[in-house]
Amino acid sequence: MRMGLKINGDDYAREVEPDLTLLSFLRDVLGLTGTKWGCLTGDCGACTVLVEGKPIVSCLQLACQVQGREVTTIEGLETSGGLDEVQAAFVSNGATQCGFCTPGMVMSVEALLRTNPAPDEAEIREALAGNLCRCTGYSKIVDAVLQAAAERHSSTGGSAADVS
Amino acid sequence: MADVFIPGSLEEAVGFLTDHPATAMPIAGGTDLLVDTRTGRARPDRLVDLSGLREIGGFELDGELLRLGALARIRSIELDPELGRRATALVEAARVLGSVQIRTMATVGGNLCHGTPSAEMPPALLVHEAVAEITGIGGQYSIPLADFFVAPGRTVLAPGDLLTSVRARVPSSRAGSCYLRQTVRWSMDLAGVGVSASVHVQGGAVSNARVALSAVAPVPMLVAGLEDTVVGTDLAPEVLAEAGRQAAEACSPISDARGTADYRRQVVSVLVPRALRIAWLRATGSWPEGSPAPVNGVWTREQR
Repeated sequence: MRMGLKINGDDYAREVEPDLTLLSFLRDVLGLTGTKWGCLTGDCGACTVLVEGKPIVSCLQLACQVQGREVTTIEGLETSGGLDEVQAAFVSNGATQCGFCTPGMVMSVEALLRTNPAPDEAEIREALAGNLCRCTGYSKIVDAVLQAAAERHSSTGGSAADVS
Repeated sequence: MADVFIPGSLEEAVGFLTDHPATAMPIAGGTDLLVDTRTGRARPDRLVDLSGLREIGGFELDGELLRLGALARIRSIELDPELGRRATALVEAARVLGSVQIRTMATVGGNLCHGTPSAEMPPALLVHEAVAEITGIGGQYSIPLADFFVAPGRTVLAPGDLLTSVRARVPSSRAGSCYLRQTVRWSMDLAGVGVSASVHVQGGAVSNARVALSAVAPVPMLVAGLEDTVVGTDLAPEVLAEAGRQAAEACSPISDARGTADYRRQVVSVLVPRALRIAWLRATGSWPEGSPAPVNGVWTREQR
């Protein structure tokens, strides 16, 4: 099956097996291995990517179902060669330990901050309920999100971010 | 490995499913079906991808009638402020289903058609008097949602039948509804007990009320005979307690990892009064607008 879609702003077209998941398409066909292969049952969130700006688990998404859509993965977040605010806040807060859950966590946070630029702790925990971390105990992750939100908020002059 | 058929219309989807009754399955959000294929619970040779069929997506309000397309995403229900006011039980059920990612993908139709006894959408829709609309090879028909579920994992759908939409009644005034559940964890858990209630109020008394339960019977169920207990009352504590007793008697839970049968009956007798009370407060305008109920009906110290 021929399929085309946009990933991190670039167009891709490939011949794929019809029941290939988006996760396998990203990792095995395109070599975009930042998106992690975790539980394959939608529980752990390590494979989270954005489709049209919304977070989904790519292990339960058939690639053919996102034909023609725009996908954002962890590789697409770098801005002018550097980490974006969320990634940088994860680093400076020690919110990564083994790091396996981090790409999925960061993608869920990106989705949250697009619709809710100033989330409180409860909203952050709810947004990240589908991203499991077995190292950090989550506190540092929540700290990182609060910091990223504050930095992004101040850098946009305190106005609401693009709500898509 | 499964082949994927992408139909251009509802008729094409029904035609393909009817032509391959033993081997083809419809897929929409995929959050249940793809898990089932990995555990071996489902072994389809062909998948029919419904996700491009716009005619069965989205939802619309027309007076007191809500039409939910089978492809309506759980997350879009959760985030709709008008549904939050009018179909509060539905929105409260939506916001505790899975994770944000799962809710973004999962559909109302999938949640109903998977037939899970603990699913979130059924009890919420049952108290809103939902009717399932089905298209099959023999044409279209509709049945009350209460008759849609047959057994765990089984519905009335015959091979080739597709649930296309659900109609529900969502009054704009003097009515309130609520969905509560008991879980071990707050998030990413299935209901040990799910309870939904709706209350209509006229002249300071209940004129109509419904209670639906999930995870405490082979299929989601409406509690029959509650009207005699609650209609005409102002839901005083003894009335609520009696309603809770009736619901606990009406259900038939099993013992499993989420609780013993006895425990689940106890929880039903506690959650039903809480759910009815919150629905009543909403119907009488005594509940802060836009404020969701605590997941199990009780405020934690921080939430008070």
